[in-house]
Amino acid sequence: MIEMNLEVNGQEQQWQVEPGETLLEALRRHHFKGPKLVCGTGDCCACTVVIGNKSVCACCLPALKADGQKVVTVEGLADEGELHPLQSAFIESAASQCGFCTPGFLMRSYSFLKNRNPAILPTELEVRKALAGNICRCTGYVKPVEAVLKTAQVLQEKAREQNG
Amino acid sequence: MLNITHYHRPTTVREAVALLVPGRAVIAGGTDLMVNPRYTQGVTELVDISRLDLAYIRLADGWKANRQAYMGAATTMYEVQNSPLLASIASGILAKAAATCGSPNIRNVATIGGNVCSALPSGDTLTTLLVLEAKVTLESLQGQREVVLTDFFLGPARTVLKQELVVEISFQVPDPLSGAAFYKLGRTEEDISIVNVAALLTLDEQGQIAKARIAAGAVAPTPLRAFQAEDFLLGKVPDQANLAEAARLTMEAVSPITDQRATADYRRKVTRVCALRALEQALTNCAAANPNHRRNLV
Repeated sequence: MIEMNLEVNGQEQQWQVEPGETLLEALRRHHFKGPKLVCGTGDCCACTVVIGNKSVCACCLPALKADGQKVVTVEGLADEGELHPLQSAFIESAASQCGFCTPGFLMRSYSFLKNRNPAILPTELEVRKALAGNICRCTGYVKPVEAVLKTAQVLQEKAREQNG
Repeated sequence: MLNITHYHRPTTVREAVALLVPGRAVIAGGTDLMVNPRYTQGVTELVDISRLDLAYIRLADGWKANRQAYMGAATTMYEVQNSPLLASIASGILAKAAATCGSPNIRNVATIGGNVCSALPSGDTLTTLLVLEAKVTLESLQGQREVVLTDFFLGPARTVLKQELVVEISFQVPDPLSGAAFYKLGRTEEDISIVNVAALLTLDEQGQIAKARIAAGAVAPTPLRAFQAEDFLLGKVPDQANLAEAARLTMEAVSPITDQRATADYRRKVTRVCALRALEQALTNCAAANPNHRRNLV
């Protein structure tokens, strides 16, 4: 076991991990059950978490790569019980069916929008390219894309209000 | 979970190469190593090279006409894809190829050095690096050596590496008037290539081909240069018939296999199509780079 320190959703964590353990295994072992194991090979993005500003597949990343880093999982999206605009938009658009891929869609979308200037709205093609790695086997991609486009508008409004 | 006993995190290249003994594997992004058992066969310890400051893309100082571009082995595909410098070199083919290397999550961690060391025939950046005539810098306790990329691959997932670390990938910046293209055929843009082809053309003042580089991926045990097709084009006019013949010669050079993505026969046939499209696009980009040629080509 190796000791590592990291921040998950704003809270300091001190973990003991196995040298070959993946970040997904370590997160779930520490009760962060939002990121899901599906393919385990980085092909479906259901395990997406955000490290720094970058979305990654936690299923194929050694846990120790997150040592000293700030990790955000889907549990960290809502702010004190208030849903993140992305979460509200996914609900409004009915953008999930069984829901297993949804944490991955949310975190990938979160990172995509976070790395953009909110004043400039993404095109549908840009959103589709951004979500190209996320695989959904139930409801498809129209609704999630719609939800992300909606969120971009909400964030643009918010940024406008903040900047006066 | 990988069955390993130690995870080394060296902070200098020197420290890292001292750790390279049989039974230990190097991990950068880990997107191949963590999921493909062939890379961890007989491996009990990992050496993580992400703390060695090997993530950079830069030009060497020097004469404009003889510039070298250098990339640290741990530069991520995301960084390659978004590099304004690489976008300005050889019609941006390296940045374009990196942009097709897996999903955004993968590109955020996968590295250019990893793509080279995984040595998969389908590696998305490998054909572009081949047409750019890239060199790989290897470091061991004995010092450094440079290997040209064409000599680096021995077979699928097999390279000339011997307890060495790939620290840098470099290439001479091609003539600014040359045009290049990367053409990938896959189920989706980001899926593993069925076939991918990179081409680079430089025309002389008369509009004849002064330099041609063609490389094909996922169609042989290693990504390969189509030397015969390149030689054929030298000194010729880049008309449709000559480009088509070069595409045919590229097809002659390949020895594909059948797998779940395509049959060998299909791969051979589409190599020709991909090569022709890459050459045509390279020619268009040549014309875009040089207004004089644009007149000649219309």
